[in-house]
Amino acid sequence: MTLWQRIIRWLDERIGLTELVDTHLKGYRVPSEAGVFYTLGMVAVVAYAIQAVTGFVLLIYYIPHADYAFHGLQEIMRKAPFGWLFRMMHVVGSNMMVAVLFLHLFSVFFTGSYKKPRELTWLTGGLMLLFALLFCLSGYLLPWSQLSYWATTIVTAMPTAFPYLGEYVTRLLRGTEHVSGVTLNRFFALHVAILPPFLVSLMGLHVFLIRRTGISPSPFRRSEGQAGGYPLYPHFLLKGLFMVMVYLAVMFFIISFMPTLFLPAEANVPADPYKTPAHIKPGWYFLAPYQMLKLIPNKFLGIFIELLLLGVFLLWPFLDTKEERNIMRRPLLLGVFLLTLTLWILLTLWGKYS
Amino acid sequence: MKRRRFLKSMLALLGSTTLLSFLYPLLRFIAPPTGEARVERIVIPKDEVPTGGAKEVVYRETPVIIINRPGKGYIALSRVCTHLGCLVEYDGRKGRLICPCHAGVFSLDGVVLSGPPPKPLPRFSLRIEGENILIG
Ligand code: FES
Repeated sequence: MTLWQRIIRWLDERIGLTELVDTHLKGYRVPSEAGVFYTLGMVAVVAYAIQAVTGFVLLIYYIPHADYAFHGLQEIMRKAPFGWLFRMMHVVGSNMMVAVLFLHLFSVFFTGSYKKPRELTWLTGGLMLLFALLFCLSGYLLPWSQLSYWATTIVTAMPTAFPYLGEYVTRLLRGTEHVSGVTLNRFFALHVAILPPFLVSLMGLHVFLIRRTGISPSPFRRSEGQAGGYPLYPHFLLKGLFMVMVYLAVMFFIISFMPTLFLPAEANVPADPYKTPAHIKPGWYFLAPYQMLKLIPNKFLGIFIELLLLGVFLLWPFLDTKEERNIMRRPLLLGVFLLTLTLWILLTLWGKYS
Repeated sequence: MKRRRFLKSMLALLGSTTLLSFLYPLLRFIAPPTGEARVERIVIPKDEVPTGGAKEVVYRETPVIIINRPGKGYIALSRVCTHLGCLVEYDGRKGRLICPCHAGVFSLDGVVLSGPPPKPLPRFSLRIEGENILIG
């Protein structure tokens, strides 16, 4: 008996490893039509893990202080061995993680997988997307560049649209009247200590709910496929692994050939609280709501509509209770979906080029 | 049964009291500190702001611009745009204050001329004493 087999047997006798693998990996069936779109959730988990690991590495040298943050990060990029790699992976990864979450969301919506009994799975997923965006928002300030400073100024000023409470919320977020070193510390705490446990708990709950209700079969399948579906391991996990490789390939393509894609010129200038650079823009994922705010002349109305849309998005499964899951048989829903998607893309492009 | 109900409510009471007694200090801890009313005064020689010119200063942590308006005299305005907080820039040629973020335009009196800003720029009281401009 090899050493490996002895270790397995040792564990087997204590925690029933073989039984665990048989029931939860090999015995767990996935619908046979589950294609690459079904693996996006798994890719998102790996994407988050990459963010966590690269984030831990950056923490070793990063100094959360207004006087040192910018230059400290430049030193990480230039002097720390492979510091540039971890920073770039963190920056590019954060954007790609949001992109994967969006794609995951679209595919879940398109296949009607949010319907009964999976309403809570949608809700936890939607909340996770919000938390991911909060991660992006809080992380944006940490390099303490002109881009960080002014994008954060704009975003933290948004609550002021609400009478009475708005000013207080803005001050609560910033810790001071204007974005300052105090804000940097708050956002740092949020980014590395407060948000992670929330996101991880939500992720745990999300996975638990998926395990309880099972992966939803596609409403578009034509034949019955393999009866009972495929086992999670090795079929589905290998498919997921392939998509993780695609994810990494895209990430390293961007790092190698388009390194400034997410780091425009203002990201290389230290924050100056007394000079707003021209045409400051938030991250691409915030461009649509940002452009919408610019278009609606009344600030309060703009933010109110956005919060309303957010509520509709989170509670969608409770609003759309029709049993039909095939969106192709629901032209109205399909129309609304395509219209929303087109509007979102248009607003994003408009926000970028205006 | 009554005893059980009593114990349940006591447990709920104890639990919420414990929670609240931690919540209150926490909320106080993260609440923004109330700004102490500091007495601050800025003195600028008049010749640093010629007619049609402007000077940027910081008053009580707020970026402020002092403008010498042709025919109207000096004015001190906050540079913080009332839309989303970017800093307005003085355009002497056009006689306007322009916000670089969403193209909000203000007159030299701080009044909104166009763009999304909902309110005029806040004004700071200013005095002339001899050869100096005084704010505060
Ligand atoms: S912040 Fe000035 S116009 Fe928006």
